[in-house]
Amino acid sequence: MAQPLVKKDDDRDDEVDYSPFLGIEKGAVLQEARVFNDPQLDARRCSQVITKLLYLLNQGEIFTKTEATEVFFSVTKLFQSKDIGLRRMVYLIIKELSPSSDEVIIVTSSLMKDMNSRTDMYRANAIRVLCRIIDGTLLTQIERYLKQAIVDKNPVVASAALVSGIHLLQTTPEIVKRWSNEVQEAVQSRAALVQFHALALLHQIRQNDRLAVSKLVISLTKGTVRSPLAQCLLIRYTSEVIRESGVNTQTGDRPFYDYLEGCLRHKAEMVIFEAARAITELSNVTTRELTPAITVLQLFLSSSKPVLRFAAVRTLNKVAMTHPMAVTNCNIDMESLISDQNRSIATLAITTLLKTGNESSVDRLMKQITNFMSDIADEFKIVVVEAIRSLCLKFPLKYRSLMNFLSNILREEGGFEYKKAIVDSIVILIRDIPDAKENGLLHLCEFIEDCEFTYLSTQILHFIGNEGPKTSDPSKYIRYIYNRVILENATVRASAVSTLAKFGAMVDSLKPRIFVLLRRCLFDTDDEVRDRATLYLNTLGDGSVSETDKDVKEFLFGSLDIPLTNFEISLKNYIQNPAEEPFNINSVPREVKSQALTEKKAPGKKPTGLGAPPPPPTSAVDAYERLLSSIPEFASFGKLFKSSAPVELTEAETEYSVNVVKHIFDRHVLFQYNCTNTIPEQLLENVTVIVDASEAEEFSEVGTKLLKSLPYDTPAQTFVAFEKPEGVPTVGKFSNVLRFTVKEVDTSTGEADDDGVEDEYQLEDFEVVAADYILKVGVSNFKNAWESMGPDSERIDEYGLGPRDSLVEAVNTVINLLGMQPCEGTEVVPNNSRSHTCLLSGVYTGNVKVLVRLSFGIDGSKEVAMKLAVRSEDENVSDAIHEIVASG
Amino acid sequence: MLLAVLIANSEGNILVERFNGVPPEERLHWRSFLVKLGADNLRGVKNEELLVANHKSVYIVYTVLGDVSIFVVGKDEYDELALAEAIFVITAALKDVCGKPPTERLFLDKYGKICLCLDEIVWKGMLENTDKDRIKRLIRLKPPTEF
Repeated sequence: MAQPLVKKDDDRDDEVDYSPFLGIEKGAVLQEARVFNDPQLDARRCSQVITKLLYLLNQGEIFTKTEATEVFFSVTKLFQSKDIGLRRMVYLIIKELSPSSDEVIIVTSSLMKDMNSRTDMYRANAIRVLCRIIDGTLLTQIERYLKQAIVDKNPVVASAALVSGIHLLQTTPEIVKRWSNEVQEAVQSRAALVQFHALALLHQIRQNDRLAVSKLVISLTKGTVRSPLAQCLLIRYTSEVIRESGVNTQTGDRPFYDYLEGCLRHKAEMVIFEAARAITELSNVTTRELTPAITVLQLFLSSSKPVLRFAAVRTLNKVAMTHPMAVTNCNIDMESLISDQNRSIATLAITTLLKTGNESSVDRLMKQITNFMSDIADEFKIVVVEAIRSLCLKFPLKYRSLMNFLSNILREEGGFEYKKAIVDSIVILIRDIPDAKENGLLHLCEFIEDCEFTYLSTQILHFIGNEGPKTSDPSKYIRYIYNRVILENATVRASAVSTLAKFGAMVDSLKPRIFVLLRRCLFDTDDEVRDRATLYLNTLGDGSVSETDKDVKEFLFGSLDIPLTNFEISLKNYIQNPAEEPFNINSVPREVKSQALTEKKAPGKKPTGLGAPPPPPTSAVDAYERLLSSIPEFASFGKLFKSSAPVELTEAETEYSVNVVKHIFDRHVLFQYNCTNTIPEQLLENVTVIVDASEAEEFSEVGTKLLKSLPYDTPAQTFVAFEKPEGVPTVGKFSNVLRFTVKEVDTSTGEADDDGVEDEYQLEDFEVVAADYILKVGVSNFKNAWESMGPDSERIDEYGLGPRDSLVEAVNTVINLLGMQPCEGTEVVPNNSRSHTCLLSGVYTGNVKVLVRLSFGIDGSKEVAMKLAVRSEDENVSDAIHEIVASG
Repeated sequence: MLLAVLIANSEGNILVERFNGVPPEERLHWRSFLVKLGADNLRGVKNEELLVANHKSVYIVYTVLGDVSIFVVGKDEYDELALAEAIFVITAALKDVCGKPPTERLFLDKYGKICLCLDEIVWKGMLENTDKDRIKRLIRLKPPTEF
């Protein structure tokens, strides 16, 4: 039964225990909604029912399709009422109910009537509702009214139409783009909000037309923008234009910088901040440009408003990553923020200080942080721990106090993620700072004495097993490790047994005592622990099947040379399809999915603020090295110098997909053909690639490794190896044909025919080029590196590159030709510049460091000239680089 | 985009939530994240004192008003300052509708009007109106005074 809302007066406000929606039920409210159908509408009652419906919707109550339709139809009846309050509620509930497209028709005529109503507010609201619920075809019918509304005198109507335009642009851009003239007019509106909304819409309409955006910015930065919000938008659009236009090389001025700098004196804080942030984010920003922005941000640091403090410290934190010196002036203000009530602000302040601080301030800073750490949440602590790790790597001499800090916080309360961050940091410091090793290992040992996380205990035990035996006194770790065998759960015990075995293998003097301990483990209650103990006792020589020393170490310390994901998939398959014969680890494919090998970075991906830094990309070379070393035929080739990115040899969506990775060794090149069979009805066997090297005379084929079986959708690889003159960057072109035996597969049973047919499949050609012999290795300070190389090995020459579209194209061509790493951002050529210098660094085959300084010039007829200066550790390499350019 | 406006009572029960451009499966996560954020940080905070946080590239500004806590979440152009502006309008409108910082009861009494205010302030993820007097008139379908 309908329960009218109880009338309340202010006296009863304090009865907080009583909610007007107490016991509210969807069914009852839907019943109540029948009042919408009454011939004599009670506007007040109807409003109350709509409120209840809104409450239900906001509580996440879901209306079934029938319920929603029924309510929607009843609500449309309410258009009969002239009650203004009720009409406003009707507009809202229609939007919330979001009727389906076949129902919308019921209400469009009423809304279109309202859209042309004399009452301005009916017009505004009807526009908003209509734009929320209609589709493209209906939109064309009302487009005329919307265009009028955009330039309506009433700012509410204009804003409603403009904001609707912004949303409609997502679904029906072709229609909204036709409103450009009206929107342009609205940008000049005297009403602040209309200007804001119009500017946003106009920019969205034109965002793909650089020239138009540039014109828009030019005209508006000269004129007056009333609304601070619109001003903020304008600053953002201006930064966009600046990013695309670059610095004026003649005067060194940056277009629009004066405008941004002027905005720093605006009266609205949001505009000041936006301008300051825009300046700090300019590419290659100079100290002179930065200073005024930093000054206003510094003022914000002591603002009474937490949001402003947060915004300022967040921006300064980002600046500190690239220009730490520019931020040092703010250090005093920042230090006072360490005690800020808002922990986000305090954490940002700390991490900024850790970046800008110098060696002498480290100790003082650590003292302040110690007090601060106790009262922040784990997620902030993790950020601080990471900042301390980078600081320690920056000032390795300070490792003692930083390591102490880490070990102290390791002993305090904290969740898994936090502890893991600390342990990871200590492990990294031990690896990178040799002096910190013994100290750090002891801290870790103490930690596992009282560690509640199995994962961390096993990780640390593994690490101690690798590093502990190499220390001056390995015996002191044994006690900590054996304690784990006595006190911990089975997983940790098993891990501790492995660690003990590693000590036994590496330190002969400890071996007898390790045997005693391992023998005790033979009586463990857990199978795995006993198995491991038995295994290690035997491999280390206590039992009957002793191995050679080398084998033991390989067994204990060698990494599993198959990708874990492949291993997991194979094991799962094995369990799903039980077979008689035992699982064979050699059946696990060793191919690493090429996705994981090519380091793909998402373009324009923004740093994630307080979030943890992304994990380092898997080293492609490491993965390839592991793969190749597992193939005995190629084990004698020596150390892998470089592996190229995969080169596609087939077009997309062909029957067989093949790409090649070129592996360069000192005297060999090895082509790894990654093949995928995309036909479910076929099984390919004895797959190999026949390579024609007639256009690569200096290469001679020395071996192939064929691929036994290539089932549907399971990538695998075949290899072809060539010998080449040692240390010479031999180039050549290779033609390829895929040869295989194809067998029909019955897809219902998955069984292949016994008989197959030999077949061939033509692949694209590819080349080994000079860039394949140069590793992209950057240097942190090019000038220092260049000067330390000395002028003796320098070779300079000039080249004409002929007519080019632009300097950018010429620079990119040479960078790609040499395959070297651009340094200090010099690969970016400012727009319209007539000359440019690009710095490259790399390692040439034979591990010879090489640096290149390229100076480009372009004349009126687009002829590009280039001066190439090369320095390297070996003057022959300098000559070789010139040869590459001369022949490229 | 202004991703969410969420109003909860002191126990963390949701009174109003409006998401924009947040997939339904992520809403629960946001809801519990915000409520926890409030529970951890809002105790003892004065009315309308703004707190701010960010989670990845998303910003959150939140505060207390009477018995209710208010959270606004945004990304891209809706950074902490824009959100502060939005939350300022929301608190002003709430005080206006309720006559004072609301108790939970008062908030629920004025629920319908509050929904209308929010509808005027944030529309599909965009800040639309920022002046409380204007909003007060708009929810009664009266044109703004400056017109």
